[in-house]
Amino acid sequence: MTIKLTRRLALGAAMAMGLAGAASAEFPDRQITLVIPFAAGGSTDVVGRIVAERMSQSLGQQIVVQNVGGAGGSLGAQQVAKADPDGYTILMGTVATHALNPLILKQKPYDPVADFAPVSLLVLVPNVLAVNPELPVNSVQELIDLAKKEDLSFASSGNGTPLHLSGALFNSMAGTEIAHIPYKGSGPALTDVLGNQVPIIFDNLPSASSHITSGKLKALGVTTKERAPSFPDVPAIAETLPGYETYSWNALFAPTGTPPEAIAALNKAALEAMADPEVAKRMGEFSATIVASSPEDLGKHVAAEMAKWEPVVKAANVSMD
Amino acid sequence: MDLLSNLALGFSVASSLANLAFCLIGVILGTLIGVLPGIGATATIAMLLPITFQLEPVSSLIMLAGIYYGAQYGGSTTAILINMPGESSSAVTAIDGYQMARKGRAGTALATAAIGSFFAGTVATFLVAIFAPPLTTIALKFGAAEYFSLMVMGLVMSVALAHGSVLKALAMVVLGLLLGLVGTDIYTGAPRFTLGITQYADGLNFVALAVGVFGIAEILRNLEDEHDREVMTRNISRLFPTREEFRQMFGPILRGTAVGSLLGILPGGGAILASFASYTVEKKLSKHPEEFGKGALAGVAGPESANNAGAQTSFIPLLTLGIPANPVMALMIGAMIIQGIVPGPNVVSEQPALFWGIIASMWIGNLMLVVLNLPLIGLWVKLLSVPYYILFPIIMAMCSIGVYSVASNTYDLYAVAFFGLLGYLMSKLRCEPAPLLLGFVLGPLLEENLRRAMILSRGDPTTFITRPISATLLLMTAAVLVLVFLPQIRKRRDEVFSESDA
Amino acid sequence: MSTKPKDGTDIATGLLLMAAALFFGWQTTGLDIGTSLRMGPGYFPMVLSALLFVLGLLVFLKAFGREGEPFGKVAWRGMAFILPAPVFFGLTVRGLGFVPALFLAALIAAQASHRLKPLHGLVLAVVVTIASTLIFSYGLGLPFRRFGPWLPF
Repeated sequence: MTIKLTRRLALGAAMAMGLAGAASAEFPDRQITLVIPFAAGGSTDVVGRIVAERMSQSLGQQIVVQNVGGAGGSLGAQQVAKADPDGYTILMGTVATHALNPLILKQKPYDPVADFAPVSLLVLVPNVLAVNPELPVNSVQELIDLAKKEDLSFASSGNGTPLHLSGALFNSMAGTEIAHIPYKGSGPALTDVLGNQVPIIFDNLPSASSHITSGKLKALGVTTKERAPSFPDVPAIAETLPGYETYSWNALFAPTGTPPEAIAALNKAALEAMADPEVAKRMGEFSATIVASSPEDLGKHVAAEMAKWEPVVKAANVSMD
Repeated sequence: MDLLSNLALGFSVASSLANLAFCLIGVILGTLIGVLPGIGATATIAMLLPITFQLEPVSSLIMLAGIYYGAQYGGSTTAILINMPGESSSAVTAIDGYQMARKGRAGTALATAAIGSFFAGTVATFLVAIFAPPLTTIALKFGAAEYFSLMVMGLVMSVALAHGSVLKALAMVVLGLLLGLVGTDIYTGAPRFTLGITQYADGLNFVALAVGVFGIAEILRNLEDEHDREVMTRNISRLFPTREEFRQMFGPILRGTAVGSLLGILPGGGAILASFASYTVEKKLSKHPEEFGKGALAGVAGPESANNAGAQTSFIPLLTLGIPANPVMALMIGAMIIQGIVPGPNVVSEQPALFWGIIASMWIGNLMLVVLNLPLIGLWVKLLSVPYYILFPIIMAMCSIGVYSVASNTYDLYAVAFFGLLGYLMSKLRCEPAPLLLGFVLGPLLEENLRRAMILSRGDPTTFITRPISATLLLMTAAVLVLVFLPQIRKRRDEVFSESDA
Repeated sequence: MSTKPKDGTDIATGLLLMAAALFFGWQTTGLDIGTSLRMGPGYFPMVLSALLFVLGLLVFLKAFGREGEPFGKVAWRGMAFILPAPVFFGLTVRGLGFVPALFLAALIAAQASHRLKPLHGLVLAVVVTIASTLIFSYGLGLPFRRFGPWLPF
């Protein structure tokens, strides 16, 4: 299952949190560090920096972004899991840090549920299945038919990423055997698909969007259940493969044991940030859907995501030490 | 004409007041860093990366590029004055430049370096402007097989042009390749050589390696005999070269520019090889080869020009192919990604203002450098008359901050200490760090592309020779190999460098 | 003393290279070698380790029959103080914070030269710390805590 939060619910939650937040006027009284568990420049980083800037205004204290990249986000997540639970060190979690890595890694550096106090789910980011225009297919069905006749390969931003698993889920649901070719990040993967070295790619919609608009990539389908508002002409893969759904998401987490007042203050600031029209515009440019949830709903979301990905990870036979 | 309108676009972008200011900041920072030994342009660029978030993409890249060639430039100043190159590429300049300084011709040497760099920078900038777009059209034809062959060529050339023992240089390349593989295998996720340390899962930090094997090893070498060090401050008699000296430097500058431009285009060779190659050429052509290593003007003019030309043209692979020619370029790619620009073949067509703006700013930056540096020579000398034992605690502090700032990973700092020890050991064993560094950078690319090419060709190794570009590159590699191992040439090469070692 | 000429430096180089090759080769043993179509993570490292071993052996063998240059002085004091400086900075930067960690690292490094008197080293470390804090922490805004949780204030 997935949680569905309407704007109205989110606003209601914001108001409720507002009351709680007012009780603890003390937090925050100094600078807050937002750990982004990926290198500067990635999509998580961009989302994190936009949100952090707006949240700083609400909180009246600077939120400083610190990039602690490495090991697919595990290093940054681990650092926050071990940080003092005072609300001054928080994490920009993703589907990788809080669903995929814990399922994939043989040695668990942290527990995504026990070690973290959820703050707020911020955005959902769709992925996209795109092909080089020279590949003679115009729909997901045609791609499936071609893949059953010929050896095809798809590029992704890396092993064990949501994009790799989107492809793996596609293979298992469509009964195809499109070979996976991992790259170090989206950039090189895109370059090779643009040059038709590899015909197919699963990518984040934001990073592929400029190439889709310019016609250098042909988008066959988005991975969300419904079409993305920014690309209404691109069908959802689920229209051909009912039940197919993957997306990336970003959410704020604090270490377990963080005082509820601090969580409430952070949640309130996050909801205010996501309700800001300027932030909404930036997120829209980014093809990200704003969710802005309560801490409880983020907790449920993490549980639901882990339940959803577990069979996919098993089926794709991905594991790392 | 297309080129003219493109250049006009570029100059209109680069000459905006803000961009001129960022270019100036960049070249000043770069020069300062190049002059201060121990901390490289790589660490600075890594440090300044988050700041560039606030800037326009063009401005941030112009500034980063300025830091890069400013550092090339500043490095030669230190190399000439105290025989301590601030950047590995200015190591060659130190050979004859330092000897010139000892003979009281430091002013001439510094001016020659400045003039040679400016001329080479100007020519190379136009080469970038003319040849970069044609390169983009073939850039997309480069798949995994082509990249693999390209990497092989880069590695072979790095060995071919390194000085000292070819065998040891090869061993250093292989060691570098192995060190480059530390981290998570991208195809299976298996950790390799990490000794169970998750902090090394993404590989060893390049800055830690470079700072260790170059910076710290150099500090340790200087601490061996603290009584022998000297600074030639008082000996700068004349700043500008005489008419006769101008005549002498003309040929070397031209040839150095040509050699440097060619090598700079090749990713994996770049500016480091350019100066070595030019030095060899000049010594071979000189009527007085015995002067080399004893203060030959051509030994400064040629390599300095080659160095700077290579620094400029190495932007071609960065801008058109999106692949880094050297570590600084790799960080610039990071900067482009931050700005939401996909570095690669599409930059020219999709971001013409950015592309041509950077090219135009290169020339402007070079002009700024020459204007800045000629009058500043006196000041640099004063800066460097600071006793060394005061400089190195400062350098160590800078190194620590620089490395830690890259990813807030304390294990990178432990790697600095390890690589410092390794670098010092290597220098004691007369093994060069440059091939090691190149191997380290190229190693992951080599493996990644080899394996990708094999998957894409369904396990058919002939893919490397049936694809025309790949085959051409491999043929060129073979040609370089033949040249290196032709005994006669090799002997000549050894002569060149055995003297320079003395 | 041996009468046969040999290059001691290169003998050491060859042996160390072979040792490094063995270390890498040993580390590779747990990795899947794979096939040439689907090369495993161990394929490339294994080839390189073997190559390094051969090169080390060649360096070693070529060292006999020729005279080498002397090894020269070794900067023991330098190594004893320069190398621990970044390690110490790494160990303390999170706990003590940027300012004290940097100060101590600079102070340690300053001991490497016998020409720098202890008091001067202290002054130098203070100056370096203040200047770096102003430049990097305030000027460039690097996101490090100036004073860490190990300190009472």
